Amino acid sequence: MSRNKPVKYSALGLFKRGLSGKEWPRVWRDVDLKKTYDVVIIGAGVHGLSTAYYLAKNHGVKNVAVVDRAYVGGGGSGRNTAILRSNYLTPEGVRFYDRSVDLYRHLAADLNFNVMFAPRGHLTLAHNDGALRTMRWRAEVNKVQGIDSEVIGPEEIKKLVPYMDVSDDTRYPILGALYHPPGGIIRHDAVNWGYARAADAMGVEIHQKTEVLGINTAGGKVTGVRTNRGDVSAPIVINCTAGWATLIADMAGVKLPIITHPLQAAVTEPVQMFLSSVVVSGSLHVYVSQTDRGELVFGASTDPYAAYSMRSSLEFTEELAGHVLELMPSISKMRVLRQWSGLCDITPDFSPIMGFTEVEGFLVDVGWGTYGFKAGPASGEAMAQLAATNKTPEIISAFDLARFEEGRLASERGAAAVGH
Amino acid sequence: MSGAQGSSRGAQRLGEVVDRNRTITFTFNGKKYKGLEGDTIISALTANGVKIVSRSWKYHRRRGVMSGNYHDPNCHFQVNDEPNVRGAHRRLEEGMVVSTQNVSPSLKFDIGAVNQKLSRFLTAGFYYKTFIKPERLWPTYEKVLQRFAGGGKVAATGHHVPADKRYAHPDVLVAGGGPSGMSAALSAADAGSNVLLVEEEYELGGFLRWGTADELAVAQSLREKVAAHPKITTLTNAVVAGRYDQNWVSVIERGLPVVMESLIKVRTATLVAAPGLIERPYVFEGNDLPGVMLSTAVLRLVNLYAVKPGERAVVFTGNDSGIAAAEALRGIGVDVVQVVDARHGGGLVRATSSRGVLSGVELSDGSKVLCDLLVVAAGWTAPTTLLNLSGNHPVFDEAGARFVPGPDLDDTVFATGGLVGDGTIDEILAHGAAVGRQASERATNGSVTTVAPAFSPDPHLPLFFGTTKGIVDFSEDVSSKDLLTAAHEGYNSVELLKRYTTATMGPAQGKLETINTVAVLASANGESIEETGTTVWRPPYVPITLGALAGRSYEPVRYSPMQAWHESHGGINIVAGQWMRPEHYGDAAKEVSTVRSGVGIIDVTPLGKFELKGTDVTKLLNLVYVNKWSKLEVGAVRYGVMCGEDGVIFDDGVTGHLSEDRYFMSTTSSGAAGVYAHLESWLQTGFPEWDVTITNVTSAYASINIAGPQSRELLSKLVSDVDLSNEAFPYMNLRTGTIAGVPGCHMWRIGFTGELSFEIHVPAGFGAYVWETLMEHGADFGITPFGLEAQRIMRLEKGHFIVGQDTDGVTQGFSAGIDWLIKLDKDDFIGKPELQWQHDSGAGFRLVGIHPNDPKQVPTEASQIVIDGIIQGRITSSRFSPTLNRSICLGLVVPALAVAGTVVPIRLPNGTIIQGTVMEHHASYDHEGAKLRG
Amino acid sequence: MILIPCPNCGPRNSSEFTYEGENKERPNAATVTKAQWRNYLYLKNNPLGWTTETWYHSSGCKKFLVAERHTMTNEIRSTKALGQQGGAS
Repeated sequence: MSRNKPVKYSALGLFKRGLSGKEWPRVWRDVDLKKTYDVVIIGAGVHGLSTAYYLAKNHGVKNVAVVDRAYVGGGGSGRNTAILRSNYLTPEGVRFYDRSVDLYRHLAADLNFNVMFAPRGHLTLAHNDGALRTMRWRAEVNKVQGIDSEVIGPEEIKKLVPYMDVSDDTRYPILGALYHPPGGIIRHDAVNWGYARAADAMGVEIHQKTEVLGINTAGGKVTGVRTNRGDVSAPIVINCTAGWATLIADMAGVKLPIITHPLQAAVTEPVQMFLSSVVVSGSLHVYVSQTDRGELVFGASTDPYAAYSMRSSLEFTEELAGHVLELMPSISKMRVLRQWSGLCDITPDFSPIMGFTEVEGFLVDVGWGTYGFKAGPASGEAMAQLAATNKTPEIISAFDLARFEEGRLASERGAAAVGH
Repeated sequence: MSGAQGSSRGAQRLGEVVDRNRTITFTFNGKKYKGLEGDTIISALTANGVKIVSRSWKYHRRRGVMSGNYHDPNCHFQVNDEPNVRGAHRRLEEGMVVSTQNVSPSLKFDIGAVNQKLSRFLTAGFYYKTFIKPERLWPTYEKVLQRFAGGGKVAATGHHVPADKRYAHPDVLVAGGGPSGMSAALSAADAGSNVLLVEEEYELGGFLRWGTADELAVAQSLREKVAAHPKITTLTNAVVAGRYDQNWVSVIERGLPVVMESLIKVRTATLVAAPGLIERPYVFEGNDLPGVMLSTAVLRLVNLYAVKPGERAVVFTGNDSGIAAAEALRGIGVDVVQVVDARHGGGLVRATSSRGVLSGVELSDGSKVLCDLLVVAAGWTAPTTLLNLSGNHPVFDEAGARFVPGPDLDDTVFATGGLVGDGTIDEILAHGAAVGRQASERATNGSVTTVAPAFSPDPHLPLFFGTTKGIVDFSEDVSSKDLLTAAHEGYNSVELLKRYTTATMGPAQGKLETINTVAVLASANGESIEETGTTVWRPPYVPITLGALAGRSYEPVRYSPMQAWHESHGGINIVAGQWMRPEHYGDAAKEVSTVRSGVGIIDVTPLGKFELKGTDVTKLLNLVYVNKWSKLEVGAVRYGVMCGEDGVIFDDGVTGHLSEDRYFMSTTSSGAAGVYAHLESWLQTGFPEWDVTITNVTSAYASINIAGPQSRELLSKLVSDVDLSNEAFPYMNLRTGTIAGVPGCHMWRIGFTGELSFEIHVPAGFGAYVWETLMEHGADFGITPFGLEAQRIMRLEKGHFIVGQDTDGVTQGFSAGIDWLIKLDKDDFIGKPELQWQHDSGAGFRLVGIHPNDPKQVPTEASQIVIDGIIQGRITSSRFSPTLNRSICLGLVVPALAVAGTVVPIRLPNGTIIQGTVMEHHASYDHEGAKLRG
Repeated sequence: MILIPCPNCGPRNSSEFTYEGENKERPNAATVTKAQWRNYLYLKNNPLGWTTETWYHSSGCKKFLVAERHTMTNEIRSTKALGQQGGAS
């Protein structure tokens, strides 16, 4: 099937088609699964799609299939709270996520798809002196890397978030916050669709409802995948399946240091805008932002036990509400409209695993825990480079699989708990 | 025309719920109106002739009553300071201030309505295709888009009034108090089960409430039986909001004074879902005009509130509900000009408007009929939410033209009534009764023998959309044209379509619009509805306030028995984990100098304290600490560090040997719970054969550290049965004796400050007494109480690290400068392999003492040590030392810098670089420990 | 809210318990290789289906128990107490 004829999205285009009633072309094609690809990417989330996009765009590798057992952006990429930031604790983390924020900043123009990146500012609250010290630590590491990040006091917090209770007679008084102005939110679905559309326009194939049932290997090398739509051969297979990562890796005989935990989120009914910043409290295990639609979007830490169940729990909303009202007691009459859950692939050091495995050609881009969406563009760019050149790019060299056996864990867990 | 047209309240209705003798005054958009007790906001507004009650989300189209129930997306109001109040459910209260949300400047003239003119350009997802360049302008566009945000206003100030939660443990929980629910409750209760019956409306009865005289009689009889049954507890104006793992069910009780609503958490053996059916809209041009109402909305308004929703009505129906509505309208004096019955070939093309409200309809036979009310009865949606939350997947039932529960129902969850099928009242009652028995059987003996009867088939027409385009999702202003366009663009699965157009994502959460969305998508894809499938309903069934979910906070705060003394003597509190404790009493530096020269006391009650008893305690100590414990004499204490299996330090403390098989362990304050679990874990899962019992005595003792050169003299005044001399009671020893007449006190010669000191653990009830006695007897020595800050300064002078401050989540044992402590020649201990490998490789940072070259500079904690742009370490602790009159630090640095005399650049938060020198010892004060041992 | 049948206390809400994770055998520290030890520290089976794991009744009897739980449905089909602590009396 021929390539999609790219049609540019623009206000003028909207206007013309509004007048003529002519429909827009399909966002991506629906094609038959071929027998052979240069690269098969498992998982049509932001990681899989961006890897495919950068393979085609930066390396000219276009004979690529992205397969997903459900639909584009149906996993964590469409279930996360769409918070972006780069104020991590380790130099390697800061550098990597900063590249991601940078790519996000220009993604709308790059993909010709408005992903609604809104650098609203990101506040991580500290409720005790230990937390405040960690915020200072992050700020200082960030500054060394040139990241805009600073510790601010309660008065400044109140200016940024007028609804916040910064008085000192609360159970968890707010002592300060790490303020990260470039942090913000984005429209997650738009990112997924934008990557899919742009990759498709360059020849990448997106195959929804295509479930990988097995991974074929021979002589220590990957040779392809078996799917519900038939077998496909490929010398490179990339595992971008987040919460399902170990199930896919098991098919290739690769063991990963990953545990799958559900992560829940909830959204309220819309109200008039009152919260411009993204607010995170590690001690209270909550993060909150307000969308352009007026809804508050909430998240918390992952569920306390490993599971593949995406059912919600009542205790999640109970704890969440309690903690949100500690921060903003006046919003108690707002209503929770919907709660949902996604799956997170948690590693022992709260850092991802990217790169080669002992099976040649079987690459992993997994272990994304609760911070996968933020990393989408940078990981796609790096994984594409790795797949195309067979060399690990420096920017992800700290995130290799071998580090666990070699005892070189990344130290993001120094600031674990809730890190959104 | 939102103004009042005089009262349209009709003559008395048989099932009327308003009290005509009680008038309630309220305002709507600043104008005064009168309603009756029992009215909802919407019935009162309709009675006052108000037809336009809101503006829609995106196009700001005029909207009137549509579904007339809780879910009606057109009937959201700001009521006083409460946003998004459901006006078709909320009852009127005297003085209520009701206003329209999302309009500017007014409901009548809304500037946002200009979007209607632009609607052909503003199709679903239009914003993804524009505002792309230049990027810097997006924040400006975003502000414009944010003005579309619907919903009411939240107050910026005000307090959360805690709504207490409660628990319920029924055998059978019945969700829905219509005929099937009541019947199920009665039969389950008759079978001996305790039943909780929960009804969303203000009274039981379901659809019978707005039915015929016969139906009202059935409802009344059922209500009486339910009320009289001792095993049924009934909640009205309450709703089953969610079903979670193993029948953990949330119930929201609404309409409570002060707190509005509260949460009941129910663990039920079985759950019966009997929510009835929700009437669905029909998609055609003009279907959202004020004056177009669903048949059940009309039945409610007429039969419950005796309100005339119009003067001249056309009824379009595919079922008997439309016929019933026509009869009700005639009964209250509305002119029903035509009944268009789709079952007999009737069809509706479009509704037309005049001045923004319905003025007529165009029918498929080409005729046009003038009317101000169009009643639509197209069919039903089965709200399968509670079943979906139990793992059930709905399937499409062609005959019923709706999704119904699938076959894979959890065996503790049952469904009855409209969820299952259509039937006569008798059939519904029989089915409910059978399901109630089944639920009771499952709840009590586990096996279900009752067979539920089948409903007689009652085929429904697949009336989802007509020949013209109209609104599908009224909450989100998504039209069938939007859906078709999006589907053709490739957002052609139900999940993608939902996300792209936001259909079903609004406050009604799909209850009104899901089936029509799926039907339009199926037509776009050329598939059947069954092939297209539906989305999954997510909890909660109805929105719940944050206040009800939060309830009362039960996060404990812990205080030592001396806290009252601290607070009355100038102690300034600091939050330390669960504990609240004094940071200082006004001047930490002065407290330090007093301790260094005389004596001071600090409340260290939060220290974790465990008594370990048994013949194998030393085995446990050898396992969990990195150092050796076999030769600890009775009466001696020893410092120990605990690491995890990864070799990372996680706690430290001192453990003493009380008597042959009794030990007393202290831990860090924040680590206490973790250490307890850690010890129990190894004992229970690793070495169950060991004889060790651990008792957590953290709160059983009040702990005080008496520090300073005069501490022995002070304590001597209060102790007579223990020889406190250095010879009899040397450093790193413990004794048990009587202090100020209080027997059973442990005294330890240890201290974090570096001074001669005694840490005493006093039975908690005597803590305040002993503290005050110490203060009293210490007056002669110029005693001071000192807080956490003074202790931190002194421990830093002495070079003691704090786990979690001077170490972090990856700091292994050899990084903390405790090489002397780690005994790799022990057979085994937790983390030994990792520590052995760290020892061999020399990897990891090293903790060192650092003195800034400028003694006045105190680098902020977390200041980085950066060389050639690479982070080589950081300051973990820093203070100005009043004792040394200079700044002192501890820091973690790469091994190459951990050499005494090395000068390191320290980057302050403002970017300034200062120099610091790595010291030989962590301690800047008495590193030989002469004072401690004195 | 999962209901966990505690062998000591009967069925209790999972919020009373601390999840300890998949059961894993500790290698002999004297002879272990780095690969074996780090496998013990970091690798889990993470199965989709039945798993055997430890829970700690931290807000209850403070006993550890072993449960068989299904990671998709959260159904618990068995729990058992660990060996008695200590050799006391």
